[in-house]
Amino acid sequence: MAHQERLNQGEYLLWTGLGITSFVGFWYLFVLLGVVPKQFLPPPHEVALKFIHLLNEPFSGYTLLAHIASSFQRFLYGFLLAVVIGVPLGLLMALSKYANQLITPFFESIRFVAPIAWVPFAALWFGTGIGGPVLVIFMGAFPPVLINTYRGAIHVDKKYLEAARMLGAGKFRLMTEVLFPAAIPSIIAGLRISAGLGWQSLVGAELIVASSGVGYMMVKGQASIQTDIVMSGMIAIGLIGLLIDVLLRQAEKFAVHYKEI
Amino acid sequence: MADIVFNSVQRSFKQGGKEFLAVGGIDLTVKDQEFVAIVGPSGCGKTTCLRMVAGLEMPSKGRILVGGKEVKGPGPDRAVVFQQFALFPWKTVQQNIEFGLNSMGLPGHEKQEKVSRLISLMGLEGYEEAYPHQLSGGMQQRVAIARAYVLEPEVLLMDEPFGALDAQTRVVMQEELVRLARKNPKTVLFITHAVEEAVYLADRVVVMSRRPGLIREVIDIKPIREQEGWDTHSRIEDVMDLSSFVQLRSQIWKLLREQNLGVDH
Amino acid sequence: MLLTWLGLTEWSGVVSGARFPSPTETWNSFKIIAIQGYGNGKLYQHVLQSAILVTSGFLVSSSLGILLGILMGANKKIEAFVNPIFLTLRPIPPLAWIPLAIVWLGLGNSAKVMVIYVAAFVPAVINTFTGVRSIETPQKEAAAMLGVSRFAYYREVLIPGALPLIFTGLRLSLQASWTTLVAAELVGATLGLGSILNQAAQDINPAMILVGMISVAISGWLMTQILAKAERYAMPWRA
Repeated sequence: MAHQERLNQGEYLLWTGLGITSFVGFWYLFVLLGVVPKQFLPPPHEVALKFIHLLNEPFSGYTLLAHIASSFQRFLYGFLLAVVIGVPLGLLMALSKYANQLITPFFESIRFVAPIAWVPFAALWFGTGIGGPVLVIFMGAFPPVLINTYRGAIHVDKKYLEAARMLGAGKFRLMTEVLFPAAIPSIIAGLRISAGLGWQSLVGAELIVASSGVGYMMVKGQASIQTDIVMSGMIAIGLIGLLIDVLLRQAEKFAVHYKEI
Repeated sequence: MADIVFNSVQRSFKQGGKEFLAVGGIDLTVKDQEFVAIVGPSGCGKTTCLRMVAGLEMPSKGRILVGGKEVKGPGPDRAVVFQQFALFPWKTVQQNIEFGLNSMGLPGHEKQEKVSRLISLMGLEGYEEAYPHQLSGGMQQRVAIARAYVLEPEVLLMDEPFGALDAQTRVVMQEELVRLARKNPKTVLFITHAVEEAVYLADRVVVMSRRPGLIREVIDIKPIREQEGWDTHSRIEDVMDLSSFVQLRSQIWKLLREQNLGVDH
Repeated sequence: MLLTWLGLTEWSGVVSGARFPSPTETWNSFKIIAIQGYGNGKLYQHVLQSAILVTSGFLVSSSLGILLGILMGANKKIEAFVNPIFLTLRPIPPLAWIPLAIVWLGLGNSAKVMVIYVAAFVPAVINTFTGVRSIETPQKEAAAMLGVSRFAYYREVLIPGALPLIFTGLRLSLQASWTTLVAAELVGATLGLGSILNQAAQDINPAMILVGMISVAISGWLMTQILAKAERYAMPWRA
């Protein structure tokens, strides 16, 4: 029995199209039937309109673009902090047993705490300032960066290290010119995971401790039962998350270009 | 003065709770600017000996002295050419050759000069910006040799450097190495399991026994080579036809066979 | 490491208790919540509340997810049909559904369960789908050659073959469920681990916050262990 038939281009498009239309169709159906009050489930075109509208009209103090900028800025700070600390630390831990033994216990105990659980401390230490979300993002983004950097560096073929030592490279050059380039594929894989986790943690943090940003906007929308605003927020979050991942995937391709013909 | 002295050198390993003696007890002196090849069956410890001179491994007993100083670790004074090339794939040919020089604090133009000289010496012109994966095995090994030579090391350590190359490239490289060695003589320790290669290249050939590695015999090549004028022939196959060559080769083969030592086991 | 903690907080007072609790303070808070209760319940009640929500949400949602994954993996038409919906919804982090869930279902437990559903569903589908697709062609051909019925095929070849990745998906689903629940409870709940964190934050009780965090970590770890056991039981052919 052949349970998998290869679909040709046309068939594939057909079914994809059917999927999209059914989804949108059902949505409209629900709205038309009045299964739920219109406030709770606005029709798709209203959501789209609201989204565009919000790009220029402020809600809760800022336009959607401004909210996005605010969120993205927090994300960037937390993410970059995680990278700037995580990568050198991971390389160092791979190179030096002492560093490894020193840092691992701290890391292991923190690692299993869901980043969101840091929100109370973040609120305690930073109030609604930018430090709060940045802390939460950092806690989410840091472990994958460190782990992947460490793993990448540990698995570097010994012969490169031997050659470099033979050529007279000291620990610093070993880290920067050998371990780091060799570990880049693993590092960037870690960055992608880390960015995903960081972005998610950001959303969570903004739902609770922020005075601007997309998450904050969504909370305000929820409070005034403006579902279209909430949904616009969701769309924005999804789009930006996608964008970040695409960018990192490009970075990944570029970083290993020396391997390609 | 860059000579290599093995002083009752032993090396043992722990494996699965038991101790293995890889290198039994080596006493050997490689004179300044002498080219010594070590042959022996696989696992006889010849690579281990080289790595100990390089400082990548430490003897369990005994000492190794280079230029009178005990070897404590790897360094550019004892440059290594690895069998697997070990070029940095993320660096260009130029950058690979430069690498060792970068830690030496030389002024930029001097570095450039040295690198260019070696690039032309090794026939790498035009490939400066290429990445290792774009080059053939022979070219990559040329880069590896250039990388070692540019350091102007006292000692050159070559660990089966042509082992990963196809037969024809191998021959070309052997001829080139001979030319290089005669023009720029250095103290060389050359590991190989190919007897012909050893006889062709070296001044002396050390034959090792199987594990635990001990020196079975040391054969002088240089006097015979000079007497018979091998270097007047530019092609390897012509040298290998000479009776003097054949005789030395059989002598070494006999030594290897005597102890039931196949070349690969 | 414990020593460093003690050192920094109690012994030298480098880090003041108002910012980060010392071990003894934490221990004291732990005793309080375990015995007397805090924020509407004792510790075990909070744990139970969270655990029940997570488990029920996780089990239902991931089962549905696995089902969909199998269907998508086995039938390209279904895959083409579902894909666009999936692709649009996937980049939206589960936490981002919280406001919507609150709008639709209010501040009670149902909203939390909804978000758990979303969180657990996606990894289950993706990994199951990949798992089904990963079954190598020789095995499929062998099955076809042996003339197995459709049902037997599913039971004997497809599912066992995809099981490793299905479990990976389950692990991710579980993790996501926990994280999402804690977040949801942080936003608004009266009982549950997240609510401890919430209450403690409002009361400015760092030691209690830490107790909450540790409880979250341990509970999550425990559930992962249970899942691992299930995994070993389900796949005895693996080392």
